[in-house]
Amino acid sequence: MSENEEKTYAGMTRRTVVLGAGGTLAMLGLGGLRFIGQTPLIRPPGGQDEDQLLSACIHCEKCYEICPRNVIAPAHIEDGILNMRTPTLDFDDDYCDWCKEVNDGDPLCVKVCPTQALQLPEGATAEKTILGIAEINTEWCLAYKLIGCRFCYDACPYEAMELDANNRPLVLNDVCNGCGACESVCVSLQNGSIAEGADERAIIVRPLDENGEMLARFSPSTD
Amino acid sequence: MKTANIRIITALAAVVLITIGFVTNIGIGTVSAIGWLDISILCPLGALSTMLASKMLVPRALIALIIVVVLIVLVGKAFCAWICPVPLLQRIRGFLSKNPAKQTASLSASETKALKSSSCSTAECSTTDCSSCAEKRGTIDSRHFILGGSLLSAVIFGFPVFCLVCPIGLTFASILLVIRLFGGGDMTWSIIVVPLLLAVEVIFFRKWCSKLCPLSAFMSILGKLNRTFRPTINDKTCLETAQGTDCGLCGQVCPEGIDPRHPERSASSMCECSKCRECVEVCPTKALKMPLLPIARSKVTAPPGKDGGERQELST
Repeated sequence: MSENEEKTYAGMTRRTVVLGAGGTLAMLGLGGLRFIGQTPLIRPPGGQDEDQLLSACIHCEKCYEICPRNVIAPAHIEDGILNMRTPTLDFDDDYCDWCKEVNDGDPLCVKVCPTQALQLPEGATAEKTILGIAEINTEWCLAYKLIGCRFCYDACPYEAMELDANNRPLVLNDVCNGCGACESVCVSLQNGSIAEGADERAIIVRPLDENGEMLARFSPSTD
Repeated sequence: MKTANIRIITALAAVVLITIGFVTNIGIGTVSAIGWLDISILCPLGALSTMLASKMLVPRALIALIIVVVLIVLVGKAFCAWICPVPLLQRIRGFLSKNPAKQTASLSASETKALKSSSCSTAECSTTDCSSCAEKRGTIDSRHFILGGSLLSAVIFGFPVFCLVCPIGLTFASILLVIRLFGGGDMTWSIIVVPLLLAVEVIFFRKWCSKLCPLSAFMSILGKLNRTFRPTINDKTCLETAQGTDCGLCGQVCPEGIDPRHPERSASSMCECSKCRECVEVCPTKALKMPLLPIARSKVTAPPGKDGGERQELST
């Protein structure tokens, strides 16, 4: 063998050792990403234990694929390198009904997850599992301009919203589970109804931080 | 049809099938966890990393791991040649380069010369049966370090580290991102970053598969147990043994660097065989076969009639 003439280290060529050591260091370096702060995200049912999700998710994409309403989406790189390609919920077109329609309220994403990254605790229900909490931006909400829009109120499947004396919707934070029904029907970003400076819909489900507190972008509107 | 083309079709079919899955939500998963609904065959590296990272015994991952181990013992590294999308992507690189023939040659002229001049001479080899006695043992190489490194990192940092950069995962992630971009207008920098990372891995690291891929390392370790579909030479028809000519085509064509005629001269051990059948096809006398079950080597000295009978007995 031509390689026999080269200096070897325990039977391996220098090139092999350098490549191998470099690769191992790269793997350990990538591991260090764990210590970079991550943006909290809205996770699919069963993904509320963030540590468990990150430890177990192998980015196999089964949960996105199976979701009958196409609300599970891969997280963006903007959400953090470690979060990239982990499952998050995107309520642009639809919301999470815990697969009530297609699988009798047993979420398919949890069912197909092969690594228990999505895993519901015993006895978990849609009502008790808080994916996030909806937040209304009263600057952008049409109802707060007294236009009389109540799409979100009508869409809420959990009676987590109420209307005030002026028919303006309010979120009941202790009932809302973050299913996203309100966000998915909000028309505030559509042609003709867009408020100045609005970069997202007027009602958005916000993730909870590690202490279970809602990460509000605006001051709470329910007060 | 040439198996090289069939292999392109099988790998493409896997990509197309999974893309259809993404669009239709039928639940077949990706190559990382292919299957039907809650039954999935997990990537063995993913299954190991996830259990090491979460410090939990995940029954489904464990079952999948056992199934994969059995599959590897049965078909060796066939995944690499028949299903993995990475060689497909490397083929694109081959099209882009001006001299595709140079890209695909597994050994350079000087390497081949060096191999030919080393160890026993061709004449010796054709008369004595040295190729059967001195099979090259699988050696530890850089891939095995990366396999170890990625598992170690998963234990230390508590998440499946290699999955972040796995080119197989990145391939399907890219497809999904494109579907989401055009299907739902999901704009993100990931659409640039994910395919770019993938391109860097398969274009800059031209020898990703043989030098870096930890999955390939995992399969080659278990491939040592593989006895089925091994390239087997019929010495009666092989040009080197039957006529004493200097052929060596099977060794030159092997993309894994195995020389089935002269295992002792091979750059790689037989456990690297990806069952691509290039050697079977290149053999001018069709002396090379990949039988389902191992066949005892036929002796050149044995009379043809007796030898044929013996082989029939063994293969039944």
